[in-house]
Amino acid sequence: MKGLTAAFLVWTLLSLEGGSSQAWPTHTACKDGGLEVLYQSCDPLQDFGFSVDQCSRHLKSNLSIRFGMILREDIKELFLDVSLFSEGLSILSYSYPICEEDLPKFSFCGRKRGEQIYYAGPVNNPGFDIPKGEYQVLLKLYNKNNPMVACANATVICS
Amino acid sequence: MMSATRLAGTLIPAMAFLSCLRPESWDPYVQATVLSAEDTAVSKSVKPCNWVAPNITYQCVELKFYEIVGNISTSVKTLDLSFNALRCLGNHSFSSFPELQVLDLSRCEIEMIADDAYQGLNHLSTLILTGNPIRSLGVGAFSGLSSLQTLVAVEINLASLEVLPLGHLKTLKELNVAHNLINSFKLPEYFSNLTNLEHLDLSNNNIQNISHRDTQVLRQMPAFKVALDLSLNPLDFIEPGAFEKIELRELTLRSNFNSSDIMKTCIQGLAGLRINRLVLGEFKNERIIPNLDKSALKGLCNLTTEEFRIAYFDDFPEDDLGFLDCLANVSTISLVNLRLRRLGAPPKDFKWQNLKLTRCYLKHFPILELAFLKEFVFTNNKGISLFTDIDLPLLEFLDLSRNDLSFKGCCHHNDFGTTRLKHLDLSFNDVITMSTNFVGLEQLEYLDFQNSKLKQASAFSVFLSLKNLLYLDISHTNTRVAFRGIFKGLVSLQVLKMAGNTFEDDFLPNIFTDLTNLTFLDLSDCQLEQVSQEAFGSLPKLQLLNMSHNNLFSLDILSYKHLPLQILDHSFNHIVAAKSQELQYLPSSLVSLNLTQNEFACVCEHMGFLQWVQDHRNLLAGAEQMMCAKPFEMQGMSVLSFRNATCQMSKTIISVSVLSVLVVSVVAVLVYKFYFHLMLLVGCKKYGRGECTYDAFVIYSSQDEDWVRNELVKNLEEGVPPFQLCLHYRDFIPGVAIAANIIQEGFHKSRKVIVVVSHHFIQSRWCIFEYEIAQTWQFLSSHAGIIFIVLQKLEKSLLRQQVELYRLLSRNTYLEWEDSVLGRHIFWRRLRKALLDGKSWSPEGTEDAESSHHEATTPI
Repeated sequence: MKGLTAAFLVWTLLSLEGGSSQAWPTHTACKDGGLEVLYQSCDPLQDFGFSVDQCSRHLKSNLSIRFGMILREDIKELFLDVSLFSEGLSILSYSYPICEEDLPKFSFCGRKRGEQIYYAGPVNNPGFDIPKGEYQVLLKLYNKNNPMVACANATVICS
Repeated sequence: MMSATRLAGTLIPAMAFLSCLRPESWDPYVQATVLSAEDTAVSKSVKPCNWVAPNITYQCVELKFYEIVGNISTSVKTLDLSFNALRCLGNHSFSSFPELQVLDLSRCEIEMIADDAYQGLNHLSTLILTGNPIRSLGVGAFSGLSSLQTLVAVEINLASLEVLPLGHLKTLKELNVAHNLINSFKLPEYFSNLTNLEHLDLSNNNIQNISHRDTQVLRQMPAFKVALDLSLNPLDFIEPGAFEKIELRELTLRSNFNSSDIMKTCIQGLAGLRINRLVLGEFKNERIIPNLDKSALKGLCNLTTEEFRIAYFDDFPEDDLGFLDCLANVSTISLVNLRLRRLGAPPKDFKWQNLKLTRCYLKHFPILELAFLKEFVFTNNKGISLFTDIDLPLLEFLDLSRNDLSFKGCCHHNDFGTTRLKHLDLSFNDVITMSTNFVGLEQLEYLDFQNSKLKQASAFSVFLSLKNLLYLDISHTNTRVAFRGIFKGLVSLQVLKMAGNTFEDDFLPNIFTDLTNLTFLDLSDCQLEQVSQEAFGSLPKLQLLNMSHNNLFSLDILSYKHLPLQILDHSFNHIVAAKSQELQYLPSSLVSLNLTQNEFACVCEHMGFLQWVQDHRNLLAGAEQMMCAKPFEMQGMSVLSFRNATCQMSKTIISVSVLSVLVVSVVAVLVYKFYFHLMLLVGCKKYGRGECTYDAFVIYSSQDEDWVRNELVKNLEEGVPPFQLCLHYRDFIPGVAIAANIIQEGFHKSRKVIVVVSHHFIQSRWCIFEYEIAQTWQFLSSHAGIIFIVLQKLEKSLLRQQVELYRLLSRNTYLEWEDSVLGRHIFWRRLRKALLDGKSWSPEGTEDAESSHHEATTPI
């Protein structure tokens, strides 16, 4: 399973310099334990690689994720917007500061435009059981200067 | 499974890196030629660059340039060529652009920079080379850059600082060589020339050891000028004395150490360092030292720093004060995201002036009695429930926000041990009970209670003594304003934020009488339904007013009439419309009025207001988002889409239709009334009785003569059209036999015969005789029909005596005399019509009409 995700990441990163007009392919971030997470980049400029280790319907706290991309913007400051939809209705949306100028939390903060970042580590999420169903998640990374540093449309299928 | 993960972890960056190298890049270098605007004719197939500011800023990102071409002006100052495949920069690559100040070459697959590549760029201040896999760098690669201040050489496969030929860049202020493969901290000799260097970023490299020899050059550099970032280097060892007598502005060491012991030796290796600011810590996602020992930071005693910051040690030892003992003389101290859990009382004679404790997982509020502390920031320390008094006599700035703290009595100078306090932030806490009105805290200029639960804030004049207060925030504090003197005493206040509170009866009275200096007032989300006309009367300097998210039904402009308002927000209310005659009183200083998310009625009644909206869309913030709520067919449509023409149109339509209905009905009435006049008028030329002298011969009983004289003759001969009747008492020629008269005068000269049927008629033999002749006459001459008028209701038995008449009456339509107004009217109209029928409009028509009538009236 993990080999598969790793292969996916490699392939995604390999195809990073692809064209810019076509829609990016849909990747699988994880498929395990009754849970399937698919994602597609919604940034017209680039695709990115993302995977979750140990995914299951009973979501564990502090999940380990992997994320790799080539930055199109400096990320001295970086914010994340997450919106969750089910059957077209918005269930949840929140904003979260990932990088702040003063004493940044993560090591990739402050990286430069054109630099490649790769993050493998925990995210600060609570553990919970995902109710059965299909969900759409829209993730947007942005900063003060640019409304889009990265963007992903994810589909979570829980059976 | 694990090995697969690790494999992925190592493969991914490597592969990603490789992916950036195209197969062609292994071919011999293709020399990049630089062409300016004059030469662009050569390359027609290349997409042009975007200019952000013409002739000054150009963006040529990812245009698949293999050489620098395009529509770039020679006077360009900022040129972004990132994400192209330039591969190789030859000499004088940019000589066509002598004015360049900023040049971005991020990820351009540049592998070689030849000597003099940037020659001629005497004004270039920023050069960005991020993400280029540079393999060959000429000795004179950066020659000529006489004004360069910032060089970003992040992720360029740099193995050593020695390779960078920077010695001549005396103006360089910032050198960023992060994310490279540098494994030695040995600063080359040329650094001693870089006398302006302020920032050297060596983070995310591979430096493991720092020896005394490596830092030799640092000693020759200006004191307290350089900020050095060594984060994310896997430091193993710093030679004791390596930093002896070195004076730096800043040193950052985050996520450098693999273990507590390594950290201990490395920090001891910093002995003798004199520095303005030292930053230690980890990143949440990197190199976390397991079981950090409290002795690891002991080495701090041997260095001198002005400011000390430590952040993100997840596994910080539970220790009384430990390392802080070494920092007694530090003036600024920041402890952020440390699992401190407990903080002992620092001795009173510590020289700390600024103290910041954020997310330190403390279990109790610290006992602080520091004689020199001026600024204390204590935020995001969840888990402490009660504030305990502090004694900080010089304290001016106190931030206790976001702690879930409760304050049993607030606020008195004894709580903080100071009378110098200027800034007090108690926002995002738990219950704060107001018990005194800031006795001894008259110096306060900034006071923030937002999102804490204030108690008794509206019980007395809480802020009475705060004559110097400039800023007050009591937003979302569960305050219910009932007492009108709540803001009494705030004579200097400039900003008042009180969103998310409530007012008694949801009515805003004038509670702002003392606030004559107020410029900013936020009253949003206060469930307000009504506002007193005088509410803002005492705010002569008010510039911004936020009334959004209330329950206001109207925009009461008159209350803003005399205010110097610039921004007025009335969004998210229930406003249907504003009175159009009041709109002229909007303050002339207004630059933005927000009326979005209201319940506008887009009906003609509010035409004046809707027209005003369209005329002032520049003044209205988000005018396009102003939606109609009524009427149903306009719901969800923009107010701007309302067309006043439709109102005028419908007005005209209504008036025209009313008028036409009126005209039509008048005409109809007139036509009805003057039907016979019209008939006469239309047929006047052709009208004539032809050969007949009379229109009708009347057969009646002499008993009914009164009726005939008074009604029949009067109405028919004197009305319109005038009919000529043949009456025996008048028109029969004397001296002629009755029978002959009947035939000669009556039937022969009359078009029609009127039979007045009554009791007397049936009983009169002459009448019956006349009637029978009439019938026979009708047969013989194809002459007028017989019109029956029944004067009285006839008994059937009586009628049966005259079988023929009976049969005729039961089969044919006859006129019945009715002695009522309506009955008479109808009677006369019918009779006139019957008499007109078959009248000789034209000679042909007469015959047709007569013959048809003939058939109709002779079914016998």
